[in-house]
This record gives sequence, C-alpha cells and structure tokens, in this order.
Amino acid sequence: MGAFTAILRKDLRLEVRSGQSTIALFALSLLIMVVLVFALNPQPADRARDAAAALWVALVFAGMLGATRAMIAENENGCMRALTLSPIDPAALYGAKLAAAFTFMAIVEVAAVVLITLFFNLDFGADLARLAPSLMLGTLGFAALATLLAAISSRTRAGDLLLPILAIPLFIPAIIAGVKASVAALSGFPLAAASQWLGILVAFDVLFVTLGGLLFEHVIRED
Amino acid sequence: MTRLVVETRALIKTFGVTPVLRDVNLQIHQGRCALLIGGNGSGKSTLLRILAGLSQSTSGDAMVFGENSRDLGVARRRIGMMTHQSWLYPNLTARENLGFYAELYDLPNRDALATKWIESVGLIASANERVREFSRGMEQRLSIARTMMTAPDLLLLDEPFAALDPDGVAIVADLIRAAIARGCAALLTAHSTLDLGIEVDRYQLTNGRVLPYRDETRTLSRIGA
Repeated sequence: MGAFTAILRKDLRLEVRSGQSTIALFALSLLIMVVLVFALNPQPADRARDAAAALWVALVFAGMLGATRAMIAENENGCMRALTLSPIDPAALYGAKLAAAFTFMAIVEVAAVVLITLFFNLDFGADLARLAPSLMLGTLGFAALATLLAAISSRTRAGDLLLPILAIPLFIPAIIAGVKASVAALSGFPLAAASQWLGILVAFDVLFVTLGGLLFEHVIRED
Repeated sequence: MTRLVVETRALIKTFGVTPVLRDVNLQIHQGRCALLIGGNGSGKSTLLRILAGLSQSTSGDAMVFGENSRDLGVARRRIGMMTHQSWLYPNLTARENLGFYAELYDLPNRDALATKWIESVGLIASANERVREFSRGMEQRLSIARTMMTAPDLLLLDEPFAALDPDGVAIVADLIRAAIARGCAALLTAHSTLDLGIEVDRYQLTNGRVLPYRDETRTLSRIGA
C-alpha cells in the first residue's frame, strides 16, 4: 500500500505542478463540445442523445491523452526502469497508474458535464446525478485499458498512434453500453432502466482491471 | 571465500539476428569491484540490464544472489543501478526525488536520509531545486545518491564518471570505495580503464565476449582516494 500511495501522490504532485494533462484534457473536451453542439444543433427531443454522444467522445479522447501523459512521466529519464527494479509489486504500480489516470479523467469529466449542461441546455439535477454511475464505470474501464495499452505504446516510436488503434476496438462494446446508459439517464429514466447497460460496464471494468493487474508486469519488462 | 554475488554462464544476447553478447562467463564476489571496459555499442549496458533483471538473455544463465536475475522478486531491492538515464523525475526537486525512492523502498527517516545523501554528493544548496534545472553532472551526482541510498549489496554502474567534473569524480569514487568496503559487490563499465585506488578486476568486452583486460595501452585514468 505504501508504494501505491507513493506513486499516486508523486503522479498527482507532478500533475498539480505542471497541469499538462488536465489543461490539455479540458481544452480537448471544450473543443469537442463546441464542434458537436454547432454541428448537431440539438433539438429539445434529441438533447439527451446528443449530449451523451458528446460526453463519451470527450471521455474516450480524454482517456487516451490522460493515460499517455501518466506513462510519459515514467519514461522520461527512464524512471520506469527504476520502478521495475524496485521491490514494489507490479500490480501496485499498475493500480497507482490506473488511479492517477482515473483521477485526471474524472476531473476533466466533471468539467465536461458542466460544459454539456451549458452547451446542450440541460437541467442541473437528478438527470445529471443518474449519469454518474455510467460515467464512473466507463472512466474506470477506459482508464484500466488505456493504462495497460499506454505502457505498451509508450515504448514504441509510433506510441501516440498505436494507443487509439489498440484501445478503441477493444473498448467499443463498453462505449455502446456507456452511451446507452447515459442516454437513459439524461432522458430522465430511472437507474433501473439502464441496469443491463451498467451491468455490461461493470463486466468490462472487472475484465480490464484484472487483465491490467495480471499483464502489467509482462508489459513493462523489456525483451 | 566470499560469497558469489554475480555469476553468468554461457550468456548470449542477440537483438534480432545481431549478437551483442556471446558466451559471457563472469563472476563477481562479495566485496569485489569489477570493471568492464568496452567501446560504444559493445554491449556493456545490455549486460548490466540483464543482471538487473530488466532485460532477458537469449540463452545462458545470469545468476544474481544465487537466483536467476529474471526471478529475483524482493531481492531486487539489493541491487543499486545507475545508467546513462538518471531515473529522476525532472519536475520533482532533488529532495522530493530521493524522498520518493526512499518511500518506494520503505526506508525509515526518509527526509533525514534524503538530506544526508544530497549532502554526500555536494548538492545540498540545490536540494529544493527541480531536477529539470540541474546540469548533466549534477543530475548524475543525484543519480548516484539515489543508487546508494538503499544500501545495495550489488552495484551496477554504467559509466558512472562519464559526465562528472573532478570534484564529482572524487565524490562518486569515494562512495564506490565505501560501498565496496562494507561488502558490496560492484560492476562498473567504462570506455577506458580506471584506477579507483582499490583492487579492481578488469575485463574487456570485445565482439560480445568478456575477456580479462590486457590492453595496457588504453588510457589509465587515476581517481585519487
């Protein structure tokens, strides 16, 4: 637990100091919202659907950027090798990197939710509260997958290109479930109406977190 | 007889079809210092990475503390390694960097320990500066402090004097001598032979093979005690 908190605290300190990830993620989310709101010109009947789509586009891009940034800090000056050589459990290292990516994404998502509420003229209230489970589950799953894949892609020359190529196809089923659950929440349906979609998100979270914990050790090792 | 810390047997490493290390047989005992001399790209860093368990050999055995270096587990904490990269976070201060590693290794009195080691490498005036602001030599000094702070039983130092000024060379040489004196084994690499002021087993890495050092015409850099 000590190593987990040490790495997470270090990542958060680096982020607070540089602001690189959160500022970039916020700017990207803002850009996506602006483009989509003017492209779609949402009508009242379509607002929930369009807002959910915009939110998930922002989530996926923010996730890729956040996970990549969290891993870049470790590859600068070869710090990942120091972590690999240290006596920490690779699963604790993965957990800390996942927690950092989740935190960066969650901060940006709070801002993104405020932006969609303003841009898509939604009501602050119960609908937004119902959105929280699908967003949190989606964020956890994507952060888990992207952290694992960012560890692979950050060691390759075309890393920035490789991450979306690897991550998005694997995450498509979870994106579909997340969008459906978000549309239901923003349309005012009770949480139970989206339970099957939330169940799929939970399954993907369990799958991606477990895979990440098991495979991270092998991914960070060199040939 | 002192304990065997490093032993490689018929170690081979190839990248694709290119052989880098061929049939490497090397032994380093507790309290001994070995110096591996070789040119650029000769495979020195690759050998160190294999011994640290960071890279895998193509065939042969790399035994460290009697275990395969790939399966060291918690024994990894007994290795101190310094490479061309400093393994320091540029946006953390010197003190924060050492404090972070002290926490990873679960060392007691982290703040005092970090201060002690920063002082030992002559960087106390820059303790609260970010590593990004450091010169290459200062970063290397801090890197050796990071390496030594955990009191390792095996030091793997890749060209530890490469970017240092004379004061830095003297400081790092003192730290290496002190580590050897307390029983630590060390494997250093360099482009030319060095005189550390202690008994050193010299080897040369030529065409992927580790042989006893024989070329006395190479520069002998004396590093005074």
